[in-house]
Amino acid sequence: MRMSGVIGVILLAVAVVLLPVLAGGQWVRIFTSTACFALAAMGAAFIYARLGMVSLAQVALMGVGGWVFLRLNHATALPFEANLLAAGLVTSVLGMLLALPALRMRGLYLALMTLMVAGALEIVFTARQFPNGGTGFWGVATSFSATVRRPLLGQSDPAYLRYSLLVMGAGFLLIEAHRRAAPGRAWALIRRSEAAAIASGVNVTLYKTWAFGLSGLLAGLGGGLLAGSLGLLDAATFRASESVLLFALVVVGGARFWFGAVATAVLYRVAPALLNNWGVDADLALILFGAALLHAVITAPDGIAGQILGFVGALRGRMPGVRP
Amino acid sequence: MTMRVLRKGSLKTAAMFGAGMIALAASGGAGMAAVSCGANTGQAATGAPVKVGGIFGNAAPGDFSASTTAARAYFDCVNANGGLNGRPIQYLTENDQWNPELAAQAASKLLKDEKVVAMVGNGSFVEMAVNAPTYKAEGVMTMASACAVSECFESPNIVSTNQGPLPSTVGAAQYMVEEKGSKNVSCIGLAIPDVGPWSCGAMEGYMASKGLAGSSVLLNPASPDVNSALLEAVGSGADTILVNLPAGLAIAFLKAAEEQGMGDSYQWASSTPLYDRTVPEALGAYWDGKMYVNAEMTPWDKGGPDAVNWLAVMDAYAPKEAARDSFSQSGYLSAKIFVDAMLALDPATLDDRAAVTAAITAIKGVTSDLMCGPYYVGEADRHMPNHAGTMVVVKGGGFETVRDCYEYDSPYFAPIFEQEKALGLR
Repeated sequence: MRMSGVIGVILLAVAVVLLPVLAGGQWVRIFTSTACFALAAMGAAFIYARLGMVSLAQVALMGVGGWVFLRLNHATALPFEANLLAAGLVTSVLGMLLALPALRMRGLYLALMTLMVAGALEIVFTARQFPNGGTGFWGVATSFSATVRRPLLGQSDPAYLRYSLLVMGAGFLLIEAHRRAAPGRAWALIRRSEAAAIASGVNVTLYKTWAFGLSGLLAGLGGGLLAGSLGLLDAATFRASESVLLFALVVVGGARFWFGAVATAVLYRVAPALLNNWGVDADLALILFGAALLHAVITAPDGIAGQILGFVGALRGRMPGVRP
Repeated sequence: MTMRVLRKGSLKTAAMFGAGMIALAASGGAGMAAVSCGANTGQAATGAPVKVGGIFGNAAPGDFSASTTAARAYFDCVNANGGLNGRPIQYLTENDQWNPELAAQAASKLLKDEKVVAMVGNGSFVEMAVNAPTYKAEGVMTMASACAVSECFESPNIVSTNQGPLPSTVGAAQYMVEEKGSKNVSCIGLAIPDVGPWSCGAMEGYMASKGLAGSSVLLNPASPDVNSALLEAVGSGADTILVNLPAGLAIAFLKAAEEQGMGDSYQWASSTPLYDRTVPEALGAYWDGKMYVNAEMTPWDKGGPDAVNWLAVMDAYAPKEAARDSFSQSGYLSAKIFVDAMLALDPATLDDRAAVTAAITAIKGVTSDLMCGPYYVGEADRHMPNHAGTMVVVKGGGFETVRDCYEYDSPYFAPIFEQEKALGLR
C-alpha cells in the first residue's frame, strides 16, 4: 500500500501537468467533473471499506456543499478558497449529524436512513433550487444568474482542472493520513467488533462521527468545486438515484483503494461522455454499470482496483528476483 | 390539420406572391414546392466547410430539437445550393440532455475544440444559463431559436428568434383578459428559476398592473405531477388556466383536466409550445374551440414566402417525423438570417469568428412573414427582437387565428422599445 501511495502521488503530478495541456475543451470539462465526483466517491468508499457503513447520500451531500458554496459566493466577497472550505465544513457537520443514527443502526437500516436523507435533500433542491445571485435566504433570482468567482490559480478551464485535481489529491491524502494514524486503527477495530473496540477503550461514538464528518467534508469539497466549474447547479444532478448509482460504482471501482475512487468517478462521468461522443445513448452506461456491479459482487469483491492490484501482483510474481 | 391539406393551402397562398418571390414547381407530380436557399445556385458547395454549432436539449421533460432540426434542414439546402460562396456549412449539434454539466461540455467542444464561428438554432432550458458567460468570453454570437430561459434575452452574446416563455405567457394572458374577460389567471410552469418563476412571475406582474389576480403553479421538471398541479390551480380560485409547459407535458396536463371534466369550468390558454400541428389531434375533439394558444411566430398557414419555403425545406431536407412548430419556424428563420448575413460578408473572413460576430451584430431590420416585427441584433446587453405574436384557437383538428400580430403590454419590454428607438426601428 505504501508503494501504491507513492505511485498515486506520482500519477497525480503527471495528471496535473499533462491533463490540462493534452485534453481539449470538452475533455477538460469532463475531467474536472470527474475530479469533483472522485472526491465524493472517496468519501463514500472509505466509510464503507473502513467501517462497513453504507452511505447512499453522498451525491446529495455534494449538493449541500454546492449550495453553501454558491450562497456564500453570491452573498459575500470572500475568496474562492474560503467559500470552498466553508462548503466542505458545513457538509461535514451535516455528515456528522447523519452519523447520529448510524451509532444505533447498522447494515441495511443505516443505508435506508441515508437514502431517505438523500430523498429529502432532493425535494429541498428541487423546490428551492440553487442560489444564483438572488436575495433572501435561498438566494434564487428568476433573472440572469450572477457570476461565480474562480480561484486565482484556476481562472481558465484548464487551470481550474489543475486546481480541482490538486484539491482531489489533498482530499485523498487526508484520508490516507487518517488511515495511518489513531483513527485508522480505531476504525479497523470497530469494523472487526464494536464490542471489542469499546472494551479496548476506543470511543466508538467519536470515531464513527468523525468518519461521517470526513466523508461529508470530501462530498462538500466536491460539490463546491463542481459549482465553481459550472457557475450554477441544477437539482437534477443531485437526485437520490445519483447517490445510489455512485455507491454502486464505488463497489464496482473498489472501496478499499484510492484508485478505486478514481475508477468510480471515471465510470460515473467519463464512460457516459465517451458513449455520447461515439453517438451512443449515454443511458446505455447504466446497463454497463449493472453488469459491472454483478461482476463485482460475484467475482471481484475488491472491484476494479482489487483486480488491478491482483494483476500487478501476478506480474511481479513472474518477474525473476521479485518475491510475490 | 392534415399534412396534405396544409401543403395544398401553402401552395395556394405562395402562388399569390408570384414566381419572382418564390419558385413553385411540381417535381415528379409529387406537388412539392421548390425550395429557395442561400445563393440558390442549384450547385452543391464543395469547398472547405465553415463550422457552425448548435446545442439542443432532448431528454425528460421535453424535446427542444425542432429548432436545430429545422436549421440543419436549411443549411443542407444551402449546401446543395452553392453554400456560403461555394463553401458548405458544417453544422455540428450537441444534445445537452437538460444537464448543466453536459451543456458546458457541449459548448467547450463546439467553441474550443471545433472552433465554430457562430452558434445557430440553439434550443434548451439549460444550455444558455450555463453558457452565456462562455459565449461572451469566447466572442461568439449565438442566434438561438427555442430559448426558454431569461439568459437568452438578457445577455450580450445571445439573440433568439423565438420570444421565450415570458412574452408568450404575458401575450396569452393579455388576450384572455382583453377578449375573454379573465380576472384571475393561474400559470402552470416548470420550477426552474429562470424559466417558470421568471415567465409566470411576469404574467402575475401583468395581471397586477391591470388590477387583476394572477398566481403560479410550478412543477418539478424531474418528476412532474400534473394532477396535483391541476388541483393547485383549481385551489387558487382562478377562472383561467394558462399552461406554460413543453408540449408533451402540457398535453398530459390537459388530459388530466379532461378526465376531471374541467374543460368548460375554466378558460384555457397556453404559451407557444402547444402550437405544433400534431397537437390538435393529440388533444382530441374535447379541446376543440376551448384551447387558446399564443404563437410566437406567425401561423404556418398565413402564407408568405418564408412560411412556404420553411415547409418546403422541411419536406425536402428534414426527417418526415420532424416537428413543424413555432420552434421549427424559428430555427429555419435563424438559419436563413445567418446565411444571408454570411453571404454579404467578405468570403475571406468567413473563418474569422470576430468578423462573423460583427456581421451578426450588425443585422438590423430584417423582415420575414414568419415574424410580426423586424429582426435585429445590435450591440446591447439584452436582445429580444421578437415580442409580438398571434393568438390562435384549437379548431377543427387544426388552429384558427383569433387575433393577428399584436404587441404585448408589459413593463418588461420598456428597455427593448428604447433599443428599437435607438436603432431607428420604432
